[in-house]
Amino acid sequence: MSEHIRWTRNRREFVTDAFCGFGSLALAQMLAQAAAKNPLAPKTPHMPDKAKAKSVIFLFQAGGPSHIETFDPKPLLNQLDGQVRPKEFGEAKYQFVAKDARLLGTKRTFQRYGKSGIEVSDLFPHQAQVIDELAVIRSCHGDMVVHSAAQYQLMSGRILPGFPNMGSWVAYGLGTESESLPAYCVLPDPKGALEGGQPMYTQGFLPAVYQPTMLRAGSRPVLNLDLPSGITTPQRRRTLDLLRSLNEAEMTPGDAELEARISAYDLAFKMQTEAPAAFDISKEPDAIRELYGIGKKETDDYGRRCLLARRLVERGVRFVTVVAGGGPGDMQWDAHANIEENHLRMAMHTDQPVAALIKDLKQRGLLDSTLVVWGGEFGRSPESQGAKGRDHHNLGFSMWMAGGGVKGGQVVGATDAIGLRAVEKPYHFRDIHTTILNQLGLQQDALSFLHLGRRERLTEVHGQVISEIV
Amino acid sequence: MRSPRLAALLTATLVFQLAAEETIAPLGTYTAIERRHWAFQKRTTPEVPTFTEAVDLAWAKVPVDAFVLSRLKKAGLRPAPEADRRTLIRRASFSLLGLPPTPEAVAAFVEDKAPDAWEKVVDRLLASPSYGERWGQHWLDVVRYAETDGFEYDTHRNGAWRFRDYVIQSLNADKPYDKFVLEQLAGDEIAPEAEAMRVAAGLQRMGPLRKNAGNQEVASSRNEVLTEMTNVVGAAFLGVTLGCARCHDHKFDPFRQSDYYRIQSYFSATHEKDITLATAAEQEAWQEKAKGAEAEIKALKAELKDKTKAEEVKAALERRLEAATDKLPPPLSALYSVANDFSKVSPMNLLERGEHDRRKDKVGARPLGILLPEGTPERATLPENPRTKLGEWVIDPENPLTARVMANRIWSWQFGRGLVTTPNDFGKMGLRPSHPELLDYLANQFVAGGWRMKPMHRMLLLSNTWKQGFDSPMAKEAEAQDPENKLLWHWGRRRLEAEELRDSLLQVAGQLNPKAGGPSVIVPVDPELVKFLYKPSQWAITPDPAEHNRRSVYLMAKRNLRLPMMETFDAPDLQISCARRESSTHAPQALELTNGDLASRMATAFAARLEAEAKGDRNKMIERAWLLTTSRLPSAKERAIAGQYLTEGQPLREFALAVLNLNAFLYVD
Repeated sequence: MSEHIRWTRNRREFVTDAFCGFGSLALAQMLAQAAAKNPLAPKTPHMPDKAKAKSVIFLFQAGGPSHIETFDPKPLLNQLDGQVRPKEFGEAKYQFVAKDARLLGTKRTFQRYGKSGIEVSDLFPHQAQVIDELAVIRSCHGDMVVHSAAQYQLMSGRILPGFPNMGSWVAYGLGTESESLPAYCVLPDPKGALEGGQPMYTQGFLPAVYQPTMLRAGSRPVLNLDLPSGITTPQRRRTLDLLRSLNEAEMTPGDAELEARISAYDLAFKMQTEAPAAFDISKEPDAIRELYGIGKKETDDYGRRCLLARRLVERGVRFVTVVAGGGPGDMQWDAHANIEENHLRMAMHTDQPVAALIKDLKQRGLLDSTLVVWGGEFGRSPESQGAKGRDHHNLGFSMWMAGGGVKGGQVVGATDAIGLRAVEKPYHFRDIHTTILNQLGLQQDALSFLHLGRRERLTEVHGQVISEIV
Repeated sequence: MRSPRLAALLTATLVFQLAAEETIAPLGTYTAIERRHWAFQKRTTPEVPTFTEAVDLAWAKVPVDAFVLSRLKKAGLRPAPEADRRTLIRRASFSLLGLPPTPEAVAAFVEDKAPDAWEKVVDRLLASPSYGERWGQHWLDVVRYAETDGFEYDTHRNGAWRFRDYVIQSLNADKPYDKFVLEQLAGDEIAPEAEAMRVAAGLQRMGPLRKNAGNQEVASSRNEVLTEMTNVVGAAFLGVTLGCARCHDHKFDPFRQSDYYRIQSYFSATHEKDITLATAAEQEAWQEKAKGAEAEIKALKAELKDKTKAEEVKAALERRLEAATDKLPPPLSALYSVANDFSKVSPMNLLERGEHDRRKDKVGARPLGILLPEGTPERATLPENPRTKLGEWVIDPENPLTARVMANRIWSWQFGRGLVTTPNDFGKMGLRPSHPELLDYLANQFVAGGWRMKPMHRMLLLSNTWKQGFDSPMAKEAEAQDPENKLLWHWGRRRLEAEELRDSLLQVAGQLNPKAGGPSVIVPVDPELVKFLYKPSQWAITPDPAEHNRRSVYLMAKRNLRLPMMETFDAPDLQISCARRESSTHAPQALELTNGDLASRMATAFAARLEAEAKGDRNKMIERAWLLTTSRLPSAKERAIAGQYLTEGQPLREFALAVLNLNAFLYVD
């Protein structure tokens, strides 16, 4: 299996090294030539036969949605409401909740849906309709119980900032199929920041070519895509033609490094002229806009961003993260004070758009090639914080995956009877990461980068593919 | 389900664990093969290769060239012809100052017939205060310098910028590197009364720092702090991946987990210490302004101590506490430093998987075992100046790593690639030196010359190796054989680094504010970026716009908000040590340099400058544009293309913008 070699300052180094070990030399050469001009040109995955997904959409539910209120019903918890956690369930460490906190039952009701009969709470009536597409993993766990460190682990596999986001890793591994759009986009929640901040989305020590493009709210989502005021497009085209002529005037033909820089300007201009069309959702038919809940106050924002995510993967973007939640904790899924009010509101914003995305991808035949992942940096505590809230909880919680070759309509793993700990087939974030890479045909060991003497990869400790769902 | 038997077993395990914590970890033992690794061997005094042929004798006049030529000849290659004077002075100016030379300086050098014309240029550049600003940035990369905590709060560190000034001033003064290292490890121990020494020791606090509200994990936080202190010793000074031995014995290098914690022991008494620099009057005035907020904070803290409060009440109190803290006046000028507190020495044990609550055998202080005679005992007690002791071992001229690592860094920052291309990893996973004898020669020279860096630069810049051109008549053959230019058969062209590019744009447009030192500048950025800070109020833009045009090394190094231009041009992420920057090429760079705010402003200013200086003479304008950006005159072809464009009546700022995007400007050859 070939090792991915970083995009170095020396083009030749890359071209000669990057593809050794591939079967088809001709293809390798062709790809290498493309890569010499554009490091984001599409690359063959390590395991072409296993590659089911071409793109990933990560529906990041920031702040940590409660598994107990969504996909993991715990009748015993309601029976034990108000009591101290029985000793047999073991210990847990919380950020806020004190040792003597009481268990909190849920007000949610659960019902079985679809052919699979998977239980979904009344928070998610829309996701319930597409439950047969979803593989619900009820046994997720991570190592950290505070937001920033948990977000870093979810995004980059490490509890510290400074490591590449999975989107950067995927862009590094596969490039992008779109010439006019970035390989890896993040659609942050316009309501504000998250604890992990910008470092959780970035490329860490990978070259800047794998950096995320933050798509902001509004009609001008990408930084520097607009011409300075007073400059027209034909004027700028002429400027770039001037630049090209000047650059070529004294260049030795075949100088790959300088040619790459010249073509970066062409790509930039292409982005500038073509990308805005990708961001413009106004021409989507009404039925589609309605499906996503666009125009309805509660769902308009997340609906727009989910629809945008679909438009991006449709055009070949590799990895899109759509963030739900931003700003102060209560504007995320971070329901410390009142789980009922917070989760009803967050579900109201997100449930319909999330389900619409699955339906829409499916009806376009894109679901097979698009892996959709839903989840937050942790779940929430079976204990109450205050009378009505729940604290962070990393020992057991739910995420789901759909599309991209994932077998939907099934539940994997289980937490104990109060939702405290993943006890059956526990899957760590590293296993989620490994599975995402696997669906893209990427191998966690081969997708590596030599940094400070270590061959770094997305998974710090070797992860396993969630075999039940692939 | 936990049974009584299980509980008994757990108790027994605990007792066992407590007993283990009192056992001293055995000293690491090292095999002969492990000891034989090249980087752990004492430096040799390599023989300088000699030549007989006239052409070789003429080229290899200094040892550096002799070592390089000897390797080239073995490969059947010849060095490239010397670059022309314009190229040399531009290269030297970027290398030493991070800025292009002025057209006047270029012309003076080109016309200087004196035999020591080149030496004079090199000496002038080395004496420039801008030298420290350029080379200081290299060092700041290595020690992951930033002025904020990172993680969610990303709190700004009061007075942290003084460390940046300390580094710049030390380099400008050509402070011996051994002293420079010792001050950063133990300045507070050596001269606690000296402000600069306190500042230098701030290195111990340079890493990201995680803080959280709610239940405090004092022990794990302390563990994280100690980890940061320990790891940087390995990465920055010793050039080894010591940090890998935190959780288990190093997988590839002979660093045992016990070695890791024995190094960490030197830091066990080290604690953060902020030292105020404000006068009594200033402190009084601050107290006065802070009164209200402080009273509120005190009251809230007292309330929070009440364990009977409901969680939601507590959460509300936490939020009020945060708000009250925000109301405090801006902090007074302070030194961001450390001090030993021997009443709070952290117990030192091997930690299973690096986890603070899985303590195993205990350890005392000892340097790296692989570099000591087998069986060298650990210290039974912590010395009163532990970090000085560690530092003295690091800078011992006999330490096989320290001088080699720094000599290689200097080479790497001069030539764009090190003799060892993994400057932070001289271990087994790192790459072996391309020229081992040359590396030892350089390290020996470095130590013999009193660990001063400027003579090293001088030696390199005066060599024929450094003066080679990019173009080589045997390029085809040489590229086929050595595409990475390991053997140095020509000068390896490089793209300007992010800071060089920003600073050069400012200089070329005549806008660079050369002011040195002082508190960091916060420049305006797209408001959307600020919005995604946890506390947008942290991005308090420096009011004086003239400050916004200062050199990049003086801009606020904030972990959670890096300038898009820096990000896009591969500046390091400020989280972990960066020994060698990447150099990528991608479309967002083109967008930044054509549509970005700085590029737009500088294009307008550059156009105005050209207009003013050329006074309507089109040819003069074109010449001036090239001289300012590329240090050379435009070729006939370039003149024709530019001339044609200027007759079309296009906006002059677009012409200026195109010139600022020329490859001939963005690259150093």
